[in-house]
Amino acid sequence: MTTPAVAPSRLDDSPASSKKPFGKRILPYLLLTPALLALLVGMGYPLGWQILNSFREYGLAQQFGQPPAWVGLDNYITLLTDSFFWSVLIKSVLFMAVTALATVILGIGMALMMKAVSRPARITLQVAMLLAWAMPIVAQMTVWNWMIDQRNGLLNYTLSWIPGVDMIGHNWLVNPLSFFAVASVIITWASVPFVALSVYAALTQVSGEVKEAAALDGASGWQMLRRITLPIIRPILVILLLLQMIWDLRVYAQIELLQGFGSAGDRYDLLGTYIYGMGVGQGQFGMAAAAAMLVMIFTIGLSWFYVRELLKEDD
Amino acid sequence: MKKMTRGIAAFAAASAVVLAGCSSSDDAETEESTAPETSSTAGGEETAAAAQDLTMWWMGQEDDTTKMFREYLQETYSAENGGELSVEYVGWGDAISALTTALPDSANTPDVTEVGNTQAATFTNVGAFLDITDMYEELGGDSLLQGFVEAGSVGETVYALPYYFGSRFAWYRKDLYEQGGVEVPTTLAEVTEVHASLKDQDIAGFYIGGQDWRNGISWVFANGGDIATYDGSSWTAALSSPEAISGMEQWQELFETAGVAQVTDTDEVFNAINDEMLQGLPAAAQMAPNWAGCCIGPLTGEDADGNPAPVWDDAVNGFYALPGADGGVAPVFAGGSNIAISAASQNVDGAKQLMGIIFSDEYQTLLAENGFGPANTEFGDIYAGLAPQNEVALETAESAKLTPAAKGWAAIEEQQILEQYFQAVAEGGDVTALAAEYDEKINQLING
Amino acid sequence: MNTKTSTGKWIGSTAAILIALLWAFPVYWMVNSSFQTTTTINALTPTWFPFPGGTMANYKAVLDPSTGFGTALRMSVMITVLSLAVCIVFAFLASLAISRFKFRGRKSFVLAIILIQMLPAEAMFIAQYKMIAELNLLNTVIGISIIYIATVIPFTTWMLRGFVAGVPADLEEAAMVDGCTRFGAFMRVTFPLLAPGLVASAVYAFIQVWNEFALASVLLTEDASETLPLWLRDFAQPSAYGPIPWGQVMAGSVLVAIPVMIFFLIVQGRMTQGMVGGAVKG
Repeated sequence: MTTPAVAPSRLDDSPASSKKPFGKRILPYLLLTPALLALLVGMGYPLGWQILNSFREYGLAQQFGQPPAWVGLDNYITLLTDSFFWSVLIKSVLFMAVTALATVILGIGMALMMKAVSRPARITLQVAMLLAWAMPIVAQMTVWNWMIDQRNGLLNYTLSWIPGVDMIGHNWLVNPLSFFAVASVIITWASVPFVALSVYAALTQVSGEVKEAAALDGASGWQMLRRITLPIIRPILVILLLLQMIWDLRVYAQIELLQGFGSAGDRYDLLGTYIYGMGVGQGQFGMAAAAAMLVMIFTIGLSWFYVRELLKEDD
Repeated sequence: MKKMTRGIAAFAAASAVVLAGCSSSDDAETEESTAPETSSTAGGEETAAAAQDLTMWWMGQEDDTTKMFREYLQETYSAENGGELSVEYVGWGDAISALTTALPDSANTPDVTEVGNTQAATFTNVGAFLDITDMYEELGGDSLLQGFVEAGSVGETVYALPYYFGSRFAWYRKDLYEQGGVEVPTTLAEVTEVHASLKDQDIAGFYIGGQDWRNGISWVFANGGDIATYDGSSWTAALSSPEAISGMEQWQELFETAGVAQVTDTDEVFNAINDEMLQGLPAAAQMAPNWAGCCIGPLTGEDADGNPAPVWDDAVNGFYALPGADGGVAPVFAGGSNIAISAASQNVDGAKQLMGIIFSDEYQTLLAENGFGPANTEFGDIYAGLAPQNEVALETAESAKLTPAAKGWAAIEEQQILEQYFQAVAEGGDVTALAAEYDEKINQLING
Repeated sequence: MNTKTSTGKWIGSTAAILIALLWAFPVYWMVNSSFQTTTTINALTPTWFPFPGGTMANYKAVLDPSTGFGTALRMSVMITVLSLAVCIVFAFLASLAISRFKFRGRKSFVLAIILIQMLPAEAMFIAQYKMIAELNLLNTVIGISIIYIATVIPFTTWMLRGFVAGVPADLEEAAMVDGCTRFGAFMRVTFPLLAPGLVASAVYAFIQVWNEFALASVLLTEDASETLPLWLRDFAQPSAYGPIPWGQVMAGSVLVAIPVMIFFLIVQGRMTQGMVGGAVKG
């Protein structure tokens, strides 16, 4: 591992800590308290409910007053022995891998571009990113659906300008693979602004002096990026990638809305819509809770490498 | 604009009715006689039973017409009960989650709620609604649309009553029919023949979406088939019955030989027969809801901003009820909703009083006059007299069928099982094999 | 700067602007459609420009007092401001704790906020409803904000932690040598460098809260407490008696997006300030 050019934040176990031992010791806990309380108040009960009911039979009847029965691991076993659950899981993981990677790579590219270009160009790019980001999800999905519409969509219309190509009438949302590709493009499009602006923010933290010093030492642009810039923004990159992975694995609203445009059925499901359909749609809340817990466990498994990395960096 | 003026006129008429009710005209007599009966069920606590503030949930969003309905109900309820009625609107897409969470919560439940007719069964079966069997007769009894009553009942116990209905029928292009030398079909087989002939002549075809089971199911119904049957204790899918299969085969033939829609099309496009709506071959006819007339016609008009707008043209546009297998009218799938009292309501007396107002002659008249198919068929004439297509709508609604009143029906809709079945058939699959496959899927879910 | 890099910069800038236009195209299409009638939107040939021939009717319709745009806007602003303010302050403090101090339980906290984000929320809304109903906070700003705050805090803390970690503690110590207190050094040196990170996280949290509708539809059942996304969804849902007015949906979407843009413009200034501050101090 290369040593970052700049020392990471110094953890406060430095000699100074002996000065005010008690105050020093209590301070981090004081800083944490508000956030912890907010989490406990807002998440504690729902989380406990979810864990509890993943072990119970909790359906619509229970919601309307029947006492829920304990079923132990039944909900989990049912899911884990259901090949459909596995197929949705695998699809979601693949979808997540492609989308998260594309988002982060494009986002970094955009941020570097913002850093490299002139001020007006940078502002234009930033504004465009934000415009896309600010668009309400309902509008995002509707507009994209119009653009790819088989009947009068811009995509088919424009593609058909190419001599010898007639795409009018081609429905992009029938073939599940094509459906997921479209979803991936839309979600990437919508998530890149966040990554780009965050990475750009991180890049502004890289001080000019360090770079100048490196340039004097004869470092090329690529070397500078690899040796100096990337290590400094590394903590943010790891976080961003992990976040994208988490979000893309449990993506819900976009898939739900896209399905609404004529892609009927569970072959277009990813984990988010699968869990929602099981819970709200079919009223099997206990099963949905178990599925949500499983998704969390699988997410931990998938991202363990990164999580460990993150925790290790703290040492 | 037109709609609004019509609304105002109807409101004026409604107010007149209310006033007339106060001066005890004989029209209001029937209603007056039911109201005391309702409150008398509350026992001798006449003094305490008064003034309950109610909350009612409606699906969709407010427009001029529903605003008028709301104001009528609020005024009438305040006058009769002394309490306030507040009406909250819930979007159709949020209905199930909002009802699932709020209905069991006695502190926050709506006292009275509208519920989609295909969702009603799910909630009645888990005991979300109050048993109102004792009110059934006084609220209209057998005059109420029976298909909807069934959807809101479990056995003989009535929980949810019909609120209004919408219907579907065929809208067509007279000019294209004429050009192809065909007449309005009188049997279901002719529907295929007529449009296949138009398609052979490269003139036009029939538009029905490949996933559009809400319209397509009429072919099953018309041939005597059903989605599922009830044996008194549980539901069994019936897509594999010979009747249902011949219905689907007939629909498949129509889709293949006369169709101009895609296999993934839903029922979203309701004005496919307008010029320039489709690429390639236009549509000479399609199934659409009764309100579709708003937006069908040649683009000869202008809206407020000078843009071309469709204007209904009797010379070009027409409609007819989908014919049955041997003539007559094919049963269609009725849209619309039910209305029920929450089992957790703390204001049962007021809620029952409100039900009395909703099913009163005045309110049913108001619904009918504003183009909402009234739940009580006795008011059908008013509705039918409003516009020629309403007559057809009423005719089709009377023979309408609903989806199975089964506990698991909402889950089947949520999983879009029928959309998938119809699409698979539209793609040219073997109907018998597909029916067996989807029967199995339905059976897994239908009994909850 | 030499000429070679400025030519490169010029090409880069042109490319950046082209990408920007491409990226913003769906947004343009939303605005374009918001000026069109349903008939034009449904037409076979696309209408590329809103004018001439555009209509203001969609905006008139969605801004009609009866649709409740004003109420929904007020509700959305209150919920977002409350959630955002609380979340940013709490998350900022927490991020300081985990990136600048070593203490027992730090790792568990970091792990906890990562895990919480991995839990799909699609199965939790019944419990969330029960909790808020029990607290008697349905249809209130505070009720839904409690959940929103808890939802965004983990993410914000985590993001900010990364940004705080990116600022070398050496800088603070150098300032302390110059006579600043630890706190003073932090505010003078570290905070300005964090501003862009704070902004990026805040914008994210803002949009997250601003656009949420699944939970809102369950916790805010009264029309008077509707937020903008719910208000917008009312237009985009099929009704039993008419077609979906897509032009109005788009006009509504534009209106919902405008406050986000305003928020960005406000914080954009801070972002540049932060950059300048960073350059000076760095």
